[in-house]
Amino acid sequence: MSTLTLGAYKRRFSDTAWYPYALVAPALLVLVLVSLVPFCYAAWLSFHSVEYGQVGEWNGWDNYLKLIQNDRFWNSLSVAGIFMLIAVPLEFLLGLGGALVLNQRVWGRSAWLPLLFIPSMMAPIVVGLLWKIMLAGSWGLLSHNVIERFGMLPGTSIFASSDHALIALALVDVWQWTPFMMLAFFAGRQALPMSPYRAAAVDGANAFQTFFRLTLPLLTPLLVVIGMLRFIDAFKIFDSIFILTSGGPGVSTESPSILAYKMTFEQWRIGESAALAVLVWLAFFVLCNVFFQVAKKRLNAF
Amino acid sequence: MSSNLAIVVEAEPVFEAAPDKARHSIVWTLLTIVIAALLLFPVVWLGAMAFKPDDLMFTRPTVWTFTPTLDHFNYVLAAGFLKYLGSSVLLALISTVMVVVIGTPAAYAFARFELKGRDDLFLFILGTRMAPPICLVIPFYLIFTQLELLDTFLGLSLAYLTFNLSFYIWVLRSFCRDLPVELEEAAMVEGYSRFSVFLRVVLPLLKSGIVSTAMLCFIFAWNEFLFAFMLGGNNVKTLPVAIPLLITAQGVRWGEMAVVGMVALVPVLVAVFFLQKQIVRGLTMGAVKG
Repeated sequence: MSTLTLGAYKRRFSDTAWYPYALVAPALLVLVLVSLVPFCYAAWLSFHSVEYGQVGEWNGWDNYLKLIQNDRFWNSLSVAGIFMLIAVPLEFLLGLGGALVLNQRVWGRSAWLPLLFIPSMMAPIVVGLLWKIMLAGSWGLLSHNVIERFGMLPGTSIFASSDHALIALALVDVWQWTPFMMLAFFAGRQALPMSPYRAAAVDGANAFQTFFRLTLPLLTPLLVVIGMLRFIDAFKIFDSIFILTSGGPGVSTESPSILAYKMTFEQWRIGESAALAVLVWLAFFVLCNVFFQVAKKRLNAF
Repeated sequence: MSSNLAIVVEAEPVFEAAPDKARHSIVWTLLTIVIAALLLFPVVWLGAMAFKPDDLMFTRPTVWTFTPTLDHFNYVLAAGFLKYLGSSVLLALISTVMVVVIGTPAAYAFARFELKGRDDLFLFILGTRMAPPICLVIPFYLIFTQLELLDTFLGLSLAYLTFNLSFYIWVLRSFCRDLPVELEEAAMVEGYSRFSVFLRVVLPLLKSGIVSTAMLCFIFAWNEFLFAFMLGGNNVKTLPVAIPLLITAQGVRWGEMAVVGMVALVPVLVAVFFLQKQIVRGLTMGAVKG
């Protein structure tokens, strides 16, 4: 091995400029096939009339026009917006608080940490099922012992009330994702350098000053990146809504994903749902681009 | 500011050695226990429901103590859920193996080489991960109908590549960047070709990164619902898809749902205990090293 001449060394393909591209090629090819091709197909469909699964003729912007004249489309955007605005800030604040608690002198911390991952790693469908049981009708553990006993929702169950179902869904999301926020912020906090804290202690800074002047600014980039990841994820919510309310009562919890699902597989309005998919996709691409730039600049992580 | 921020991710040793840090605090420990109990209580309750007899399940007030029953397990077994369990395992395994084989070289190349348009390629990869699955499932459904890939393991594992391959490349790349490049250089001085450097030096060093990232991919495939629901069928039916089957015309089989939910939780519990640090890294797309 070690006696190869320079000539033999040069002839090998793996030492040419093509080599890195050869390593990346299969993955890129697959990703193009499984995501770019479906996207282009959806885009192509969105400009056609589709009747009973048969692709008809080119109809320009018709599908898009129908979509933006459809109240349910705008409703789904506001459902997603309200959902994100309730869930993500709560997760964020509770997660930050939890991370600060974990960061104290907690006994047996390494034993607690893995347990806390459980909600965030659970299948969303199982999370939905779990809360379906907790909040079920009149006998669910929470619906009977808490909501009913304290007279919070007289005469109705939480997922049957169009005013409260969305809030309940957002709180389920908070249950699932707060632990993740907590552990991510905790990991970030643990990775902070110790020396500024020692300096602050020498200068006699109190806990509040240390948090607001030191921890918060140092953690900001991480908080931004993780907050954005959660916003992006929360917008896509499907599984838990599907099993808990299927978008109801009425359209009060119909997120864009649920709407697209119903348009496609219940109403067979495939052209319109393709248009919806394309719009959502483009919005995501813009969001991801922003996310990528922020993450790269702020966190030096990617 | 940004030069400071690099430190955020380059973990420093934790300052645990100082004497005042060594003593534990009862207050904070209790608070942690309360938080953990609040978060985990619903999961424990789900476990209890799996063993709770039907006649005690719907009582008001809630019955807290009961003699455990295996009725729900028997119902689930009789309803053919072993087959769904098998499909779940097989599908998650196939898709994870595909991801590892295709993704490992790519992750390494992205970490080590100057590729033209690397940032754009990377953005593309991130984009495939972030896209809402509902946007993909509609075209997939129509394409798979034409190619007769509906309700096959191949079709579904291809669909799973959309989220797992990009995830795997993204996270494994951050593991690759942690490897000291000097080892590879030394091997090349010894006359190894770049490819044998990859096979004999990089892969052994990456082993734990590959295993933990692959386990996360397994969990994501295991947990997946929408693709399996729309693109699967009677041949390929995974546990998450089978759960709604228990909402029958005669009513909801609550105890049975709890059983299936707990079974679906098993790989998650295993992963949680073995992979804590990698989970933070994984779920933050490599932004936090955990």
